[in-house]
Amino acid sequence: MREDALETAALIADLAAGWAWIGLAVALVFLVWGVDRVEPNTRGAYIFRALLIPGVVLVWPLVLRRWWVLERGADNWAARHRAVRRWHGPLWWVLGAVIAVTLVAALTLRDDRASAPGPERLEAPQ
Amino acid sequence: MSVAYVPVQWNRNKWYYDTVLILLVVLYLVTFLWLAPEVSEAARATNDAIQRMRATGSCAFLMLTVILCIGPLARLDRRFLPILYNRRHFGVLTACIAAAHLGFVLQWYYSFSPTDPWAALLGVNPAWDRAPGFAFEILGLFALLCLAILAATSHDFWLSFLSAPVWKRLHLLIYPAYAAVVGHVAFGAVQDQSNAAFAIVVAVSAFAVTSLHLAAHLRRHREPAANAQEGWERVCDASEIEEGLGRVHLLATGERVAVFRHKGAFSAISNACAHQNGPLGEGRIVWGCVTCPWHGFQYDVRTGRSPEPFTEKVPTYNLRLEGTEIWVEAAPNPPGTPTEAVPAP
Repeated sequence: MREDALETAALIADLAAGWAWIGLAVALVFLVWGVDRVEPNTRGAYIFRALLIPGVVLVWPLVLRRWWVLERGADNWAARHRAVRRWHGPLWWVLGAVIAVTLVAALTLRDDRASAPGPERLEAPQ
Repeated sequence: MSVAYVPVQWNRNKWYYDTVLILLVVLYLVTFLWLAPEVSEAARATNDAIQRMRATGSCAFLMLTVILCIGPLARLDRRFLPILYNRRHFGVLTACIAAAHLGFVLQWYYSFSPTDPWAALLGVNPAWDRAPGFAFEILGLFALLCLAILAATSHDFWLSFLSAPVWKRLHLLIYPAYAAVVGHVAFGAVQDQSNAAFAIVVAVSAFAVTSLHLAAHLRRHREPAANAQEGWERVCDASEIEEGLGRVHLLATGERVAVFRHKGAFSAISNACAHQNGPLGEGRIVWGCVTCPWHGFQYDVRTGRSPEPFTEKVPTYNLRLEGTEIWVEAAPNPPGTPTEAVPAP
């Protein structure tokens, strides 16, 4: 295991933890105060809000953006009824190619254990 | 729908769906964990912890494969629509099984070490240019993160708050997640050459998902081009729409209109349901309301409004007849705007 890879991995883990703490703070403010202002159907419904916490933690920038749009009354009603289809076909042509290349590469580069060096017994740490 | 939210909106159909789903998952896991070692030498050669990882990992992969097949299958053949109905619960359960897989991995490979288990998991295989040592764990973590986002934003609140198109774009993450899972499995479990069966299952699954999505895309691509005239477009001949049914028309703007015949008159609303943008034009009129084939949301075809106490609204469109031909105005009316139904000739 390379030392720099571990350091990078530890940095990613720290960033993820920071993201989650900010998300928790956003969830607290949004679910206690903000959500009633922008979503009328949440008024009087409290138990289900606990279910929203993981979602807010994961996508809190999106939550803040939508909250801002709805607070200003700037939501585009026509866009709400514009089904997302344009990307479906091109996306699957690309993904199909990526998946095919991945499978071929994985099977081609498969570890040949017959020619691999045998196991080496290490001394126990003192 | 648009009344005060509850944690989980169950009804009798969803109970049946979830019960069957959970029974199938339990059956798979029991078969894998207790029956496989009885018949498979490869399964006997491992310990219980690794078997648990394999059982949950393969189960999550197969569940994700089925989930991704449901959408295009329902597009290609309406008989698959009932499976689509409660797909979100299917997705949440898949995320839970995938999380259990990660839990077993962390418990077995990364316990009892001074190194942080998450850092160790991310850094143990740092290679991107060769199969032995390939960073397949990162692909798996990426896929699990996507599944977690989808599961955590699966409540109807998110559809309403984010709006269906934004929610749909967010949930397109399922596609790269699947590609990542295929990579995770191909550079992980499939590298074990002791059993070729799993490699075949993975390849067949990936081929099925990809080909079904492409088939659904190609079928939709064959829709006829719009026949336009000063802001109006020809839809079809009036005789082509049966009583109680609709027809979907693709406008030059790229949006879709659903034109229905109800009580001998024609009306048009947006084809995109306010709930998940389901295809209203593929539904039928039940109790006087257009009923979405995906989740049963209903709209008065002349106003675009859900029956009370629900408050969903979709845009309506103006229609006119030229001889026996139905024409639609390309510009939509704001959601919930009443329109005059056009009597059939």
